[in-house]
Amino acid sequence: MIRAVWDNIKGLYSLIVGLSITARFLFSPQKTVHYPRKVVDPESLSSFRGPLELTPAADNSAQSRCISCQACVRACPGHCLTVVKGQGKAPIVWTYNFTLCCLCAACVESCPTGALRFSHKVYMVASSRQEMVLDLLSDLEKNAAVAND
Amino acid sequence: MNASNFINPFSIREDEGSFAGDFYTRNFERQARKDSIILNLGPQHPSTHGVLRVLVELDGEYVLRAEPVLGYLHRMHDKMGEVKTPYQYLPNMGRVDYLHPIAWNWAFVGAVERLASIEPPKRAEYLRIISCELNRISSHLLWWGAFVLDLGGVTPILYAFEEREMINDILQIITGSRLTMSYFRFGGVCADCDSRFIKLTKDFIPYLRERLKIYKALVTDNIILRRRLEGVGPMDTDICLRYGATGPVLRASGLSSDTRRNIPYSLYDNFEFAIPAGPSNDCFGRYLIRLFEIETSLQIIEQAIESLPDGPILIDKAPKANYKLPAGESYFAVEGARGQIGVHLVSDGGKNPYRVKLRSPGFSNLSLFAEAAKGTLLADAIAILGSLDLVIPEVDR
Ligand code: SF4
Ligand code: SF4
Repeated sequence: MIRAVWDNIKGLYSLIVGLSITARFLFSPQKTVHYPRKVVDPESLSSFRGPLELTPAADNSAQSRCISCQACVRACPGHCLTVVKGQGKAPIVWTYNFTLCCLCAACVESCPTGALRFSHKVYMVASSRQEMVLDLLSDLEKNAAVAND
Repeated sequence: MNASNFINPFSIREDEGSFAGDFYTRNFERQARKDSIILNLGPQHPSTHGVLRVLVELDGEYVLRAEPVLGYLHRMHDKMGEVKTPYQYLPNMGRVDYLHPIAWNWAFVGAVERLASIEPPKRAEYLRIISCELNRISSHLLWWGAFVLDLGGVTPILYAFEEREMINDILQIITGSRLTMSYFRFGGVCADCDSRFIKLTKDFIPYLRERLKIYKALVTDNIILRRRLEGVGPMDTDICLRYGATGPVLRASGLSSDTRRNIPYSLYDNFEFAIPAGPSNDCFGRYLIRLFEIETSLQIIEQAIESLPDGPILIDKAPKANYKLPAGESYFAVEGARGQIGVHLVSDGGKNPYRVKLRSPGFSNLSLFAEAAKGTLLADAIAILGSLDLVIPEVDR
């Protein structure tokens, strides 16, 4: 009998301890990042694997290092990549279907010239599947134009 | 069940009176008592975690029989292994069990390395251990939150997610992703750690130890939780072994069995850590053992990060996309957060493996449920289901 009463008192005390923790956290500062008003600190994204992008060549930032060797196309498990060779070695079409990509880095690791890398775009949105098929050559030119301005 | 009870699913039409419903329900109904109710939990039910469906026969609030129905999340991972080269198949491993992807990475990479006799460098082994243990902690944390959520406590999962996000931040530095990581490569790992990774990990260990005290005060000592869990769903060692259950479920039943000690792989032999067993084989015992394993993992990480050697992280000429496995067979088992993960690889020397068999611990652990749930209250059956720590993508593969 005394034991049962004591157990109940201990039980009630455990609830008070729990509630006091909840109360303490209620008044502690917010930990979440409220997206449109705040963004994640870019340093913490430095190794984040976002959608692929082409690495600019050393001498011309609008040019890619790609030599159209197709190594990435063959390595990709999801068949996301299309590279069409132009007159020389440089590609004329370089499309990347992000809807199929699993961000596995097989393409990046198999490229002999280091022409591919992961971007750190975390806020990319699209309203249709077609928008997720990216033309990486034109993206590279756009980036170069922005950088030159 | 005798032979006359068997129904050929193709011989029944949907509109055949009392036989309406799907194959599983019809088969389940055949053995039902006249006065019982058959209830279908899931596949879209918050307490069955993912798309698990459980058929239960109820007498009032008591479960007479339960039967899990699987396959809603079957993605043919075994088959995909046969149509991709090993290197291309590797990212699949992060998707089998999204809560402990690194252990699956390890099981497959280990099987390939064993078959091809590849020895990864020492630094890579250390990084593998650190990342795998961090990932184990994050898996247990999520289980802890979701389990208490099943029992009706909504806030604890928010505490668990705070730590889980920190682990994700740490793992993102080396793996590049936050959920379905594909970090291992045949013969090493894909990225080296930097000083930021080491600092964050070192800071995280004492921080989590402090937080575990809060967990204890907030949840473990809570009288409501204890009365919900103590004595519910006992599973003795015998039944665990019969069904092939492994991991915390088996250890809670009193057998100190852990792949990291039983079949040592990598450098786990060099580390000091205890394999706890017990204290009780009910839901509360399984709860305690997982919280204790978080502490074990912290100890391993602490030792590994102190003695992290320098050197390469990947062997020279590491296998790439066009790598052909030598003909032969290999099996590699690792200890995942839910139990023993095994990969059986058979190769005939061709471009793709001949067969890849994935042994998921969740599948064997789930088989215990039908037996443990017999005769319990429905709400207790949910507690038992939660205490098995099921990840449905892993069960279905
Ligand atoms: S990251 Fe993987 S899936 Fe994506 S394009 Fe590269 S190889 Fe293909
Ligand atoms: S592997 Fe590199 S160089 Fe070859 S096609 Fe792909 S991006 Fe171009």
